[in-house]
Amino acid sequence: MVHETLAATNAIVVLDVALPSVFWGWIITMNMWAKSIGTGIIFIAFFLLKKYPEQTGFVRFPAVVISIVFIHLFLFFTVIDLHQMFRFWHIFFYPHLTSAITIGAWMATGFVGLLFAMAYAIYLKKDEAMYDKYLGWTTLLAIPVTLYTAGLMAESTARELWQMPTESAQMILAALLAGSATMILLGGNKFSDAIKKDLALVLGLSAAAAFILYMSEYIFGGMKAEEVAATLAFIKGGEYTAMFWIGQVMAFLAPMALVCLSLKNKSYYLLKIAAVSALVGLWVSKHVWLVIPQLLNMS
Amino acid sequence: MQLGFLVDLHLCMGCKGCEIACKVENEVPLSTWRLRVKYVDVGTFPETKRTFTPLRCNHCANAPCERICPVSALHYLENGIVNIDKERCIGCAGCVMACPYGAIYIDPQTQTADKCTYCAHRVASAMMPSCVVACPVQANIFGDLDDPTSDISKYIQQHQGNVQVRKPEKGTDPHHFYVGGGNVTLNPLASFRGEGHNLFNNLKHIPLGGHH
Repeated sequence: MVHETLAATNAIVVLDVALPSVFWGWIITMNMWAKSIGTGIIFIAFFLLKKYPEQTGFVRFPAVVISIVFIHLFLFFTVIDLHQMFRFWHIFFYPHLTSAITIGAWMATGFVGLLFAMAYAIYLKKDEAMYDKYLGWTTLLAIPVTLYTAGLMAESTARELWQMPTESAQMILAALLAGSATMILLGGNKFSDAIKKDLALVLGLSAAAAFILYMSEYIFGGMKAEEVAATLAFIKGGEYTAMFWIGQVMAFLAPMALVCLSLKNKSYYLLKIAAVSALVGLWVSKHVWLVIPQLLNMS
Repeated sequence: MQLGFLVDLHLCMGCKGCEIACKVENEVPLSTWRLRVKYVDVGTFPETKRTFTPLRCNHCANAPCERICPVSALHYLENGIVNIDKERCIGCAGCVMACPYGAIYIDPQTQTADKCTYCAHRVASAMMPSCVVACPVQANIFGDLDDPTSDISKYIQQHQGNVQVRKPEKGTDPHHFYVGGGNVTLNPLASFRGEGHNLFNNLKHIPLGGHH
């Protein structure tokens, strides 16, 4: 913790309440992680179906099923994190529109509706054109659904580390990372080399961009605000240092290296390892970034 | 009307009478506080002094808790108080994340957010907040900031240049002021928190032969 360094102003808190525990813990991490997969798979499915319509038609059904499963995981963890979970309906009946939580809940509800419409189109109606029509709108709605958590973090005035520009970029990059990783694992060897290369590039570039953002904050964040410096101290020799670097290596550095190796050796196996590493590391990275601002004393 | 609060830290002697009065009046559960007094020791022995800082909700004009609340459980009253409707609260803890003053907690009994309301129920009955009544040295001054003849307005006028708010850089426009405050009392990062040196910390971490 930052404190007065001059002996003359040496100040020590001798009586105050204990620091509060972490309110948003692993449940919210699961929430963000599952949402990244749920929206990311839609982004990637949209990209593949636009660029390779002839070769990727088979992803339509599994992509929407995966998205439905992970968006419901996201909703499940959202609800169970509420201390009064059976009042969840209040968000719809007493909405407060300045809150990112309200906007996010409404967006996510619309997103789920469109996902079921897509599932209906492809599974019951067997209508690919209808599916693709819905997919466009679903992809558009996936953007605010992905971003609203960044808005929520930005509205958390007390947590200086969470700034909207970087958090929104991180959310989109996390969705692209998770979406491409999931698609790589989903596609097996059914994809052509060109598609594999595109997925590898999306995975590698989103990992690189996310890592650059984290490092930018890690190195320069503390130079603008003492609260950020105090927060980052928890990952600069503090109790979350190891976890932070495990996350960075697994989510970003290892996938970048493995993507390069897989492209060079044309090894789909390495790409799958990169995908698994990215998905696991993403959870760890998000968890550290979620928790450390909450360790800071506010009073 | 815009109700506000001022604490003259020159007068506060850390008796915690306000803390107890608040606990009793609002039935605040164990392990939680709407109002508490922080003690900070400043200096190096023998040149030391102890400061006392009562901390409570700042009832900001631009309240982050009100903005982030998804169901308007946190809302403004006409007199400027940021009040909470515990029947509406869903316990998302967004307000806990948003409040830069650490003034909001989750009530372990109701599982909803809770905080100081300036005793809105007492104010509605033309009574002073319980902490104001309990203070033996009248360090707590409560009143209408829109009224230039109110005690709080006069106090602020008399102490021009020595009236502070906590974390003004957050842009929350607090309606809770301090006279005689400083970096040590108002900035949480300006003082060191040693593990085991706080009354409510885990006492097993106090080293043998410690400072007590």
